Amino acid sequence: MIVAENLTKRFGTFAAVQGVSFEVGTGQIVGFIGPNGAGKTTTMRMLTGFIPATEGTAQVAGFDVFESTMQVRSRVGYLPETPPLYMELSVGQYLNFIADIREVGRSVKLRRIGAVMEAVGLEGFENKLLGSLSKGYRQRVGLAQAIIHDPPVLILDEPTSGLDPNQLVGIRSFIKNLAADRTVILSTHILTEVEALCDRAIVIDHGRVVADDTIDGLRNRVGEGIRYRVELGTTRPVAVALGQLSRVSQVEDLGSQSGVARLMVHATEDPRAEIAELAKVEGFAVHAMERHAPSLEEAFLGLVGDERWA
Amino acid sequence: MGIAWAIFKKELRVTFVSPLAWVFLVAFLFLAGLFFYMGISSNGEASTRVMMANLSIALMFLLPMLTMRHFAEEARSGTLELMMTAPVPLWSLIVGKWASTVALCLVLLLMTGLFPAILAYYGEPDWGVVATGYLGLVLCCMMFVAAGVFSSSLTEEPVAGGLLGVLFLMPFWVTGPAAEMVQSATARTVLRALALRTHMGAMSKGVVDTADVSWFLLGTAGFLFLTWRSLESRRWR
Repeated sequence: MIVAENLTKRFGTFAAVQGVSFEVGTGQIVGFIGPNGAGKTTTMRMLTGFIPATEGTAQVAGFDVFESTMQVRSRVGYLPETPPLYMELSVGQYLNFIADIREVGRSVKLRRIGAVMEAVGLEGFENKLLGSLSKGYRQRVGLAQAIIHDPPVLILDEPTSGLDPNQLVGIRSFIKNLAADRTVILSTHILTEVEALCDRAIVIDHGRVVADDTIDGLRNRVGEGIRYRVELGTTRPVAVALGQLSRVSQVEDLGSQSGVARLMVHATEDPRAEIAELAKVEGFAVHAMERHAPSLEEAFLGLVGDERWA
Repeated sequence: MGIAWAIFKKELRVTFVSPLAWVFLVAFLFLAGLFFYMGISSNGEASTRVMMANLSIALMFLLPMLTMRHFAEEARSGTLELMMTAPVPLWSLIVGKWASTVALCLVLLLMTGLFPAILAYYGEPDWGVVATGYLGLVLCCMMFVAAGVFSSSLTEEPVAGGLLGVLFLMPFWVTGPAAEMVQSATARTVLRALALRTHMGAMSKGVVDTADVSWFLLGTAGFLFLTWRSLESRRWR
């Protein structure tokens, strides 16, 4: 469980994080999303105890991050943005070292290293030097070190960065399984990843939380209501007539092609019956009426502005 | 203790994989041989005194090059973030790194044992003087490595860390000649007290004074304490 209350971090006069508050329970995966420099990494670093907060408090696994740092550190698995690897060591030597500093018991150490290597797809890589691995494999080793001590809380900063599409699927499902009895926070730039992995997303911008909602909740913020993509068999301008329907709030004309007018209808409630009635009265055919599900990208752009999204 | 031991082992492993350690080893043994030859040829004495005195100065320049990676490289590569978010007490991290380099120095000093052996073959060296000379070199290594570890904790650039280390140790060298140049008796006493030559010189002649040993031990503890403060302050920057 993670509880952050009014977390603030200032570097001199620059406020990297300002009054961030949220809670993440056990069994949840929460995505931290935001443009570059939004304050995601700084927040994660405060939660791991790497840097202190200027103001505010944070509790991880029941311990205060700033008062009981060591208890928190031993209960958190952390993957920083760049996997923290000693390139001169082999995968086996490195994981052995991490298990030692994490005080994984001797009797279970080898078994644990083997299990973790298998889980992240590193079987047969034990003697490979870390410096000789590809970016994707380094990322896997980074993930392996974060879970070697079987922590109840995982904080992952861009965990799938550098992975190819095949690796992505495997690692995502691995993270999803991990979350069954853990608390997981991950930051990412890839919104499809948030959709695929997370129950909830916290959108952060300019160091502030601008939205904290379920994925569906974030999507529903787009366009303030329901949208339908409508295609009508007419060359007449119908946007004005549609706009006068009681359930329609706005109509966007998407242009016409081969005698079919295409429109995006913003409605307060399902307007299909009204549109069908209008088509019947006006005497034109209805080619299509389908609900347009807003994407997370649209929601995100609406929250932070498109020019800052990279 | 277990964590410090794990860090000690990891550091030694990483050091011996890097070419820097081997370059250092060759340079150190070459200089030791050169100083040994110079000592013998200049006065024909069956003694390692000249070698010991010169090696102590050479170590001032060489050791910071060996320690420069300790924290600077970790900060640059991001592994310091790993260490500072794992349940690793700072003292374990500092002592583990410091002890690994001191251990490497002990191995190197052991290798220079060849020179007293040569002396013993051809003459009759004073083993007491040889032993106190080695004690002095071990103490030098402990203090210089601590200074190097400290300078490495101040920057993310290993080369800058190495140069800073030399800069921190320089005063202990230059205060020796400077003490003989000043007029004021007080200044001379202070400079002599600071000078490596004062403390190492006695030991290379076979004299072990508690004050000299304490000087090295205090210097070591002082630099290790500064390293701890420097790493601690990273959190608050």
